[in-house]
Amino acid sequence: MEKVFTDGLSFALPLLIMAVGAIYSEKSGVTNLAVEGFQGVGAFVGALIAILLIPLMGNGNQAIIYIAMLAAAIGAGLYACLHALLCIKFHADQVISGVVINILAVALTTFFTSAANTAITGTASNKFILGVSNRFTVPGLSKIPWIGGLFTNMYPFEIIIIVLVIFFWYLMNKTRYGMSLKACGENPQAVDAAGGDVEKTRWIAVIISGALSGIGGMCFAYSLLANFSPSIYQGYGYLAIAAMIFGNWNIGSTALVCLIFGLAKSGGYQLCIAMKLPSNYSDLFLMLPYVLTMLLLIFFSKKNHPPKAAGQPWDKGKR
Amino acid sequence: MKKFLAKRLSGRHSSLWASFLAIILTLITASALLLIMGKNPLVAFQSFLQGCGFLPKANYGGGSGMLSDLFDFLNYLAPLMLAALAFIAGFKTGLFNIGISGQMLISGFLATVLVGYNKELSAVVAKPLVILIGILAGGLVGALVGFLKFRFNIHEVVSTIMINYIISYLTGFFINNNFVNIMTRTSNVCSPASRLTWTNVQIGGVNCKVPLGIVIAVLIAFVVKFLFDKTSFGFELKAVGLNAQCAKYFGVGVGKSIVFSMAISGALAGLAGVTYYLGYTNTIIPKTLVGMGYDSISVALLGNSSPIGAIFASVIVCIFQQGANYMSSRVGVAKEIASLITGIMLLYASCGNYMKMIANSYLRKEMDKSSDRKEEER
Repeated sequence: MEKVFTDGLSFALPLLIMAVGAIYSEKSGVTNLAVEGFQGVGAFVGALIAILLIPLMGNGNQAIIYIAMLAAAIGAGLYACLHALLCIKFHADQVISGVVINILAVALTTFFTSAANTAITGTASNKFILGVSNRFTVPGLSKIPWIGGLFTNMYPFEIIIIVLVIFFWYLMNKTRYGMSLKACGENPQAVDAAGGDVEKTRWIAVIISGALSGIGGMCFAYSLLANFSPSIYQGYGYLAIAAMIFGNWNIGSTALVCLIFGLAKSGGYQLCIAMKLPSNYSDLFLMLPYVLTMLLLIFFSKKNHPPKAAGQPWDKGKR
Repeated sequence: MKKFLAKRLSGRHSSLWASFLAIILTLITASALLLIMGKNPLVAFQSFLQGCGFLPKANYGGGSGMLSDLFDFLNYLAPLMLAALAFIAGFKTGLFNIGISGQMLISGFLATVLVGYNKELSAVVAKPLVILIGILAGGLVGALVGFLKFRFNIHEVVSTIMINYIISYLTGFFINNNFVNIMTRTSNVCSPASRLTWTNVQIGGVNCKVPLGIVIAVLIAFVVKFLFDKTSFGFELKAVGLNAQCAKYFGVGVGKSIVFSMAISGALAGLAGVTYYLGYTNTIIPKTLVGMGYDSISVALLGNSSPIGAIFASVIVCIFQQGANYMSSRVGVAKEIASLITGIMLLYASCGNYMKMIANSYLRKEMDKSSDRKEEER
């Protein structure tokens, strides 16, 4: 039972940071279906840096993880510029742009992973082997019955994500920049009339979105997969988008939805083990988060309020 | 040069020129990439064509020749073209069906299990049955997506992706449990009677695999064109895609149009699925969604979402996808570069509208300049 909470949290938090990224982009008025691509490119850049650093700093050096995470944020942030360019500058259809970004990300990372592997190690493998991050247990809190599992065997990055989420919640809801960002997504004309720069605000929001998604992707690479390979594209980016939709574009409720997703995934998996089913049956339980997403979407999609201007390119002359 | 391009991009065939420009830009980018890796791009492009049977290779294995490569190419082209048409059918109504891979998988799986493993059916019964199951299975999934969109306001991109993974895990579970071939770790092969490709056909002294799917695909392209250009039903679908509010005002059932459009899109994707799984491969790899569902988006955008354009665009994308293996063995570049080239092409194709926009504003500026000059002369 404790393991359900431990694994659930370690799945929910990377999902949450990606969802927060998506919220930033959408609140500023740029529809973001590109989360999947951002997280993949982020994980790729981070993993590449990690692979290059391992011979220099020694295998198992935990500092590499933080450098890789920073690299992932920068790499995905730069890649997000492409989405911003297409959506904001080129006035492309934002849904098309998102899908283009995703498809290109899969192709780019797959090709360059094997190219980089050939160059570095000489073998044409499509994987960067990373290993799993160290874990730690919070003394005291982990002894609480039931929810003690939340504080057992934590990855260090979970703390980083929590800090980041709180910071970005503050930035969006309590600062001037956050206000103008939200206004850009609701009524960009008003922002323009008040002397704000709509395009600049949106650019920053999309880049933040990319950077946060990149961190999320890197966390998956270091926890769930222990490597970087094309199997990082498991639709988690889309799960994050779904979480954002149930969370009604609100960081607090989105966090709750992410936790439900995480618990559903780990709970299903532990149930499969507890029932002593053959390993084939784990596929059915792996399906659970996606089914749950569909069901939640059916019940909650009707009521929510997406940002009004999301999906429309900003045109100064339009009223 | 600048003026020439600008005129082409704003003239009557502007979309055609935008696609053409996208291809040229893709080739330039790909060449630059190959040059950086120290490979000769011309040799690479030549071997892409050789791998597809458009140019003769240096040597061939026993019993095969240029013609067999060409037929292999057609075998892959058929599902790609159908998948692109599936995307176009949804896109005309403003729907973004990126669940084509999943719809292909479910219809391929159902057709394999229901017909492919039934050894008693003769070819005359089995082949139409396979096609029918493909259309029905894909169409039902598509209709479900359309229903979810219109009734519950669920964005089709999110729902199709979720359905993709559900289908992938579900069919993977059944294949691994019941229909797996222990040696290859894929599903058991289907009976030759149900397969939509005739294998071992002797043409001109070489072994060829003749696909039925390519005939269907080209026919469907004209059917889709007819539907959207000549029928009032197709016009309603397009109207919903262009402006749903306006269409509603004129009495078009928006919900009905969305469901029907997604059902057509899903049915064509199902057709692509059976031509892929019961034609091109004849087996299913469990828990794997084919990349074709995404390539089809490149094809559709490159073909300017017109059914006839899709025929030509699918040939171009298919050359890279199908020729990649031979190119990889000859030039020594990982074959994943095919997907990269397709992705870059998609990127440029999606900038088509922007290219037209710059061309128009450039021409307007030129016109202003020349009229200013005339006034000064006066």
